[in-house]
Amino acid sequence: MRLHEYEALDIFEQNRIPVPRRGVAGTMHEALHVAGEIGYPVMLKAQVLVGGRGLAGGIKVASTPDELKDVADALLSSEIKGLPVRKILVCEKAEIAKELYVGITVDGYSGTPVIVVSTEGGVLIEETAKTSPEKIAAIHIDPSFGYYPYQARTILRMLGLKQQLIAAWTDVIGQLYHVALRYEVIIAEINPLAVLPNGGLLAVDAVLEVDDSALSRIRFPLPDRVDRIENLLERRGREIGVTYVDLDGDIGLISSGAGLGMASMDIIGEKMKPANFLETGGGITADLLYRCMELVMMKPDLRAIFINVYGGINPIHEGAKGVARYIKEHNVKIPIVAKALGNHQEETWEIFRAAGVHVVTEAATEKAIERLYKLVGRG
Amino acid sequence: MSIILDENTRVVIQGITGSEGAFHTRQMAEYGTRVVAGVTPGRGGQRLDNIPIFNTVKDAVKNTGAKASAIFVPPPFATDAIMEAIEAGIEIVVCLTEGIPTLDMIAVKQYMKGKHTKLIGPNTPGIISPGKCKIGVMAGYIHKEGRVGITSRSGTLTYEVVDQLTRRGIGQSTCVGIGGDPIIGLTFLDILQLFEKDNETDAVVIIGEIGGRAEEEAAEYFQKHMTKPVVAFIAGITAPPGRRMGHAGAIISSGTGDARTKIKTLEEAGIVVVKNPAEIANTVASVLHIH
Repeated sequence: MRLHEYEALDIFEQNRIPVPRRGVAGTMHEALHVAGEIGYPVMLKAQVLVGGRGLAGGIKVASTPDELKDVADALLSSEIKGLPVRKILVCEKAEIAKELYVGITVDGYSGTPVIVVSTEGGVLIEETAKTSPEKIAAIHIDPSFGYYPYQARTILRMLGLKQQLIAAWTDVIGQLYHVALRYEVIIAEINPLAVLPNGGLLAVDAVLEVDDSALSRIRFPLPDRVDRIENLLERRGREIGVTYVDLDGDIGLISSGAGLGMASMDIIGEKMKPANFLETGGGITADLLYRCMELVMMKPDLRAIFINVYGGINPIHEGAKGVARYIKEHNVKIPIVAKALGNHQEETWEIFRAAGVHVVTEAATEKAIERLYKLVGRG
Repeated sequence: MSIILDENTRVVIQGITGSEGAFHTRQMAEYGTRVVAGVTPGRGGQRLDNIPIFNTVKDAVKNTGAKASAIFVPPPFATDAIMEAIEAGIEIVVCLTEGIPTLDMIAVKQYMKGKHTKLIGPNTPGIISPGKCKIGVMAGYIHKEGRVGITSRSGTLTYEVVDQLTRRGIGQSTCVGIGGDPIIGLTFLDILQLFEKDNETDAVVIIGEIGGRAEEEAAEYFQKHMTKPVVAFIAGITAPPGRRMGHAGAIISSGTGDARTKIKTLEEAGIVVVKNPAEIANTVASVLHIH
């Protein structure tokens, strides 16, 4: 679960990482009030859970109350990459002498936390990683030993920094590592970590992504997980317990398994456009597939649905009953093609056929999608 | 020979009395797996069908000589189960559990250093050496004994590929699901090494996904050390960047681990990459000169 910037900054502040003076606003008047307390100029930052926010116009500066009114109104009525801006972060506009980078993540290969630092922070950090790898350093942390400040000090010294900056930065890294452990994050990032003219540091941006598998045991207050999903269809998917990703095509997809789902999406994408990605996971029941149908059908202008399920751990014949019930109750007219293999496949085919679903009995997903392509009248 | 498992592998089921544990124990036994013991704390002395249940893995190992374990234990207790199995001297641990916190897996990886246990998973459908032994939840009957090794990060997609190979008359030596989580035990790299050494495997199929670096590592090993042909498929070419597509491992961000980069790396190393999973069986047939 990714946290909003303002939520992450609050956690940073509680853990003694220096952060800007700031406040969150849901209306122009609230923004005006916060800015009045902080003093102009201020930064206004759209709080949306999507990358590349700045380049998409989600970060603005206001130097006067009049300017702020216009900017805040514009931001709060805008969308950033399809997500409505419900809140903006109003914060002090610090004078920045230099931008640094610090991030903590888990290296899947070594199975250890890794701290990444760079003297060239900012929006071009990924470019820097490619063009000037010498400006980026990684510290692998031995989990049984933990993090000790000397590890950061040694690396920062090698990057050629002065003592005052090394001391301040080492402190921030230690606190960020502490946050990463307490909140079981898979990504913690400060980019940029600003160097102020007086030599102090300030976390100008904040990224925290909590491990979904650890959410139930984290002992610190966290925002609601479902609540924050802006896309209504994706939120509904989370509520019924499936992974749903909203896409911009017109062919609905229901699949069991991420790999099978992605492969189906890829093959559909060759000649048509998938409307969504939907992966049921291992808990198929008649009710779940009924709800999946309901969810997929919520998308307007759908031309067809493709169902691709495998009966390993999943009782797919049960799932077929749910699909059939939905078709009957809602008198579904668009073509539905189903590929169902594995345990109980014959029974599953019977149920699908009786409900008017086009059943493909071959193993190849491609064959099923060819059938679908013919049915939607483009092949 | 097959890799990791053979017809003599003696298996203990951790979490045997749970509904999934019990169901799949019976499925495995029916397939021919030598399920010699089960473990559920507090249920020692009972039996599931004819399989004796013990309170600890240690007891199970002492009394039955179990060498492999299958873990059907819910996420909060799963890493405890893995540690217990390793401590008891189990050589192959297959962890089917989905949803283990990453921090717990960091501890497991740490604990495993210097130990010889092979961990498969977590979040895997398991491993099968057709006709010999199955530890997992895959449908056994679609497999066929043969000489092609399969390793995959995806469960259901693997079934499709296996089914296709079997229908084409191409059997499998061993199929290993390495699991979809960020931190796992054996990786593609380890599995390729085992297949390269196995004199009953002639070719290998890798079924990869977006995210992570497992495919890239496999490509490097292949280029430097491998003599057997490898065919690969990568799912997720149309996945929008920065979105989760179901597996914790299947995330693309920052332009690394995306399908196109992976495909390019694999092809440059000399691995045959198919664009469509339906082409896998024919491609395997052609690299093995089967007509």
